Amino acid sequence: MSAIVRPRELASLVLAGLLVVLMVTTDGGSASAVGPASGGEGAFSKTRTITRVLAATPAPEETSPSPTDPTDDDPTAEPTDDPTDDTPQDVVDSRQFTLTVDHTLNLRGRERVKIDWSGAHPSGARAANPYGENGLNQEYPVVIMQCRGIDDPSLPEAQRLKPETCWTSTRQQRSQSTDAVLGVWRHDLKATKADRELKSGLTDLPKECVDTKSDATHTTPFVAANGKVYAACSADTMPPEAAVGAALPPAEVSAYSDADGKGSVNFEVRSSAENESLGCSDKVPCSIVAVPIMGISCYDDNYDCRREGRFEAGSSNFANEGVVPAVSPLYWWSASNWDNRVSVPLTFGLPPDACAVLDKRPPTAFYGSELMNQASLQWAPAYCLNQQRFKFQHNRMGDDPAFVLVENGQAPAAFVSGAREAESTTERIGYAPTAVTGFAVGFTIDEPGNAGERQQLNLNARLIAKLLTQSYTGSSRGQQHPGMEANPMSLNVDPEFNALNPGLDRIQREAAATVLSLSESSDVISSLTSYLNADPEAKQFIKGARDPWGMVVNPSYKGLKLPVSEFPLRDTFVPTSGLECYQQNPAPYFSQLAAPVNSITKIASALLDAWPNVQTKCDRASASDPFKVGRIDRQGVGTRFMLGIVSLGDADRYGLRTASLQTASSVGPSSPFIDGSGRTFVAPTTSSISAAVKLAKDKGSRSAFQMTQDMLRKQPAAYPGTMIVYTTAKIRGLDKEDAAKVSAFIKIATSEGQVPGSGNGKLPGGFLPIVKTGATAKLWASAQRVATLVAAQKEAAAKPEATKGAPKPAPAAPAAAPVDAPQDDAPAAAAGEGAATATDDIVATSAQSSGAAGALFPVLIALALLAGLGGPATRVVHLWRNR
Amino acid sequence: MTAVWSGRRRLARPPQLWPLVKTRPASTVPVPDNLSIVSTSLTVLAVVCVWLVMQLFVLGGLEQHRAQDRLYGEFREQLAAATAPVGGIIEPGTPVALLSAPGLGWSQVVTEGTSSGLLLDGPGHRRDTVLPGQAGVSIVYGKSGTFGRPLQAMLNGAAGQKLTVTTGQGELSYTIGAVRRAGDALPAAPPSGGSRITMVTAEGEGRLGRLAPDEVVYVDATLDAGAFVAPPGRLNAIGPAETAMASDTSVMPALALSLGVLAAATVGVIVARRRFGAIRAWLVGAPVIVALAWLSVDLTTYLLPNLL
Repeated sequence: MSAIVRPRELASLVLAGLLVVLMVTTDGGSASAVGPASGGEGAFSKTRTITRVLAATPAPEETSPSPTDPTDDDPTAEPTDDPTDDTPQDVVDSRQFTLTVDHTLNLRGRERVKIDWSGAHPSGARAANPYGENGLNQEYPVVIMQCRGIDDPSLPEAQRLKPETCWTSTRQQRSQSTDAVLGVWRHDLKATKADRELKSGLTDLPKECVDTKSDATHTTPFVAANGKVYAACSADTMPPEAAVGAALPPAEVSAYSDADGKGSVNFEVRSSAENESLGCSDKVPCSIVAVPIMGISCYDDNYDCRREGRFEAGSSNFANEGVVPAVSPLYWWSASNWDNRVSVPLTFGLPPDACAVLDKRPPTAFYGSELMNQASLQWAPAYCLNQQRFKFQHNRMGDDPAFVLVENGQAPAAFVSGAREAESTTERIGYAPTAVTGFAVGFTIDEPGNAGERQQLNLNARLIAKLLTQSYTGSSRGQQHPGMEANPMSLNVDPEFNALNPGLDRIQREAAATVLSLSESSDVISSLTSYLNADPEAKQFIKGARDPWGMVVNPSYKGLKLPVSEFPLRDTFVPTSGLECYQQNPAPYFSQLAAPVNSITKIASALLDAWPNVQTKCDRASASDPFKVGRIDRQGVGTRFMLGIVSLGDADRYGLRTASLQTASSVGPSSPFIDGSGRTFVAPTTSSISAAVKLAKDKGSRSAFQMTQDMLRKQPAAYPGTMIVYTTAKIRGLDKEDAAKVSAFIKIATSEGQVPGSGNGKLPGGFLPIVKTGATAKLWASAQRVATLVAAQKEAAAKPEATKGAPKPAPAAPAAAPVDAPQDDAPAAAAGEGAATATDDIVATSAQSSGAAGALFPVLIALALLAGLGGPATRVVHLWRNR
Repeated sequence: MTAVWSGRRRLARPPQLWPLVKTRPASTVPVPDNLSIVSTSLTVLAVVCVWLVMQLFVLGGLEQHRAQDRLYGEFREQLAAATAPVGGIIEPGTPVALLSAPGLGWSQVVTEGTSSGLLLDGPGHRRDTVLPGQAGVSIVYGKSGTFGRPLQAMLNGAAGQKLTVTTGQGELSYTIGAVRRAGDALPAAPPSGGSRITMVTAEGEGRLGRLAPDEVVYVDATLDAGAFVAPPGRLNAIGPAETAMASDTSVMPALALSLGVLAAATVGVIVARRRFGAIRAWLVGAPVIVALAWLSVDLTTYLLPNLL
């Protein structure tokens, strides 16, 4: 035996080494993952010269005019006493700024696009949180915003973008008021005469804005999509979406460029669904505007205007100290800054409710797997906008209940991602592979020292098992849990995690003690837990074995039988606390930490916002109100640490980072380690998912492909989170019309629906296309077979069960659920019961009676009489005898 | 517990503390222990039987009226707040509809679930069918003989009357059909958009029929069009305890517990009677025992067929 194993081990070691090398060399692409989302979807790139021009000081040598032609102001329009005309100008800084965006077409709400740039001025005074107003105290950042309109002078005024249509979350980012001498924008070389006045921008301010007469004030109002003008001179005069504590955190960012002038950011775009005032949609074009701050160009020798930054390039500004206004992002709207902008035109996809609005036909609802979310979002318009096709609707639901709906004839088809036991049914159900995708462990983790977001994370099954079984204690309250005193408080202080992921901070947090997961039953959880079950380290850990560092499983989960489709919340430990709040609200602490949610999409948005669902925040309205416990705050940029189970489709859409999962290990389960050597970690990529799909075994049209975790473990390059989603439908007894629709759906979904792209009917990123050739060939063939079977509906009937009648045709309206009635009660009523619903034959109501019911009262009354008379009678008899 | 009556005194009474307590006067003829046990047992059995009958016919009615009052208030509040359940999986015991037949002066709040215990409060809606008022067939179970006889009114001259159904989705008027007994024709499935409420209860035959409701009978109320949409997500299957004439044995642990407590309370009263005197002991003990007896009998009725 060992003679056979050794070469294999060697081979796997070599393979693992190769993979590690491959992963290191191709690092950076892990921002998630599968699918060609980056190619052919409107990738954008533009290079332009950006400059800072200062009016020449006494002895000017070069008198080159500004290379960028000021669009709005004509120098001749300047007043004669204006020094601009005759003062020689000096280009003090000129750079070639290149901006690229990975995709810009058919964007959806909250989708993140990756923006990279080079050639910007190196930034200084880096803020921990660059978003919204928190990013204002930086020097030479690149301000990136979303603006309504397109930067094209040939368009009518209303469709052009301008500072007034650019979204900012706070007043401070667009309207400034300062001591007159510090109003550096008034010295802007390119400013119009009006902008050099003491009061500029919107001068007719509403009453609620207090403006000191002597101060220099510039107000950049916000013009909403409906034409309403918000003065933006105080928090109250901002659009409603900019309210304090708005539903979504700010997306606009003052991004940092490194010492080479390079930088990158994942920018989240907002559609009209998230931000109605900004109002970007498929009909209203919008742009991303990047304003690289070079410093304001000045026409005179004003000291404040001409200043350079006071922070060194690459420095941090944790203390949030003041910066030099002329090089800060504060005056991005000032003409010379604004002139340096690069704008990226965007198009938005149809809103999720497009089909409901545009197509009045009744929908045909497919129920089931949330993994299909992003695909069905893009597929639905390709059906409902085509009158030749039906109106496709995907209702998200657990895989199990969706499958039951199909079995009962209440839904024409369901999306599931695993075989279902078909016992106790007379139905024949076909499985058509429709999409290849999967789950991932998404993460939002910041590198320590303000070094940006972590791009890559390695997780093995034992770490996931520790998180899911709530074996991290979270805080000193959790450490009171009997049997877990020695466990680390959170993932990032676990030596095992640190061995696999060196270089992260060791600040313990409650949010890092858990992975946000699903509360509902789902095939994703089955798949994840079978991954844990197939891994010897994780399996032994859950059985109760200590990990090499002495950590032990939470006793409430010890011996938990895996896999499960719904992860239980078993721990009921209520810690004691000296705090009044926790005394008033005693609750199982570990359930508050885990707090699973009911949909994968919610996990994705929690990760996007870095807002853990940990429910341990104490709060009260006032000192006299009782405390209540709620969700903790969003994590601050710079120290974020959060994990969640996401679908690959969501991860790709929202630009979430996904962890690489361990597929093979040559290290013994109980030996300690200090790094990831001997272990193979695989990220979800096209190749790793193809490798997994290659292993799937066809089990016929009436069952899912066989792709167990034990099979996947044999191929270290296969991503263990791979899942195949099937369209399941009856292949016998389905309504003719529905059968035709389902069959057409399967055919369209496996042809047109597998073309990668962002357009209607295309396959979004995060999915592996199912095509005729290659790894997915057998899936494609199986789908075509099942499509034919569904259309034909001629599958031989299964053996009818003794207790059931002939299979009933599906009722006309799926909503009018249970067929007919009272006879369902009657265990004895068998004959002809099924037929009664199908035909108009007269069928008699069956008899049902209960002997107990009939006998009860007579017996009770007889007994009462007998006993009531008998008692006294015995005594009377006794007395009579003794007389 | 009867044995204790003739058992030995366990706690010695302090001689002077309770001068009011008198020793029992010795009976002229000493009753032998055996006889005493037999006659007392029979008396207790009679009391239990009479109590059971009383509770099913009289006290249960009071209890059911009270429950209906409470449910009506609760449901009214939910309707006003638009929080009345309209679909999905509903907690058993929650009010789901108000059925009223103005022509009969009859009205009942229907709760979710049809197990024996739930039907003590009033008619129950079978959980695997659509709610009353929704397209399809909705099944409502109710008692006809005991506990306020909620569905008795449907069995006598209700045919042709209007049945008003009020739910969280609105109000509809159904027409009540004739009582359907074994052998009668089953009605056809309702047309698309139509709705039927089948009320299921029990009826006896003959002179003592009211005392022996052993046959399941059905009353259909129909609505031809305009029914509300039934949201998906209802249960697909129910337990055996929720079918017609089934009993609910899940109550056994609770019943055993309550009987145990009742026995303990009785023993406690007897002990207290020897110590503190009959008046005091019964003054304190009687409410406790009556309450426990009431509870025990209520729980016992869970074991009876639910439509009784």
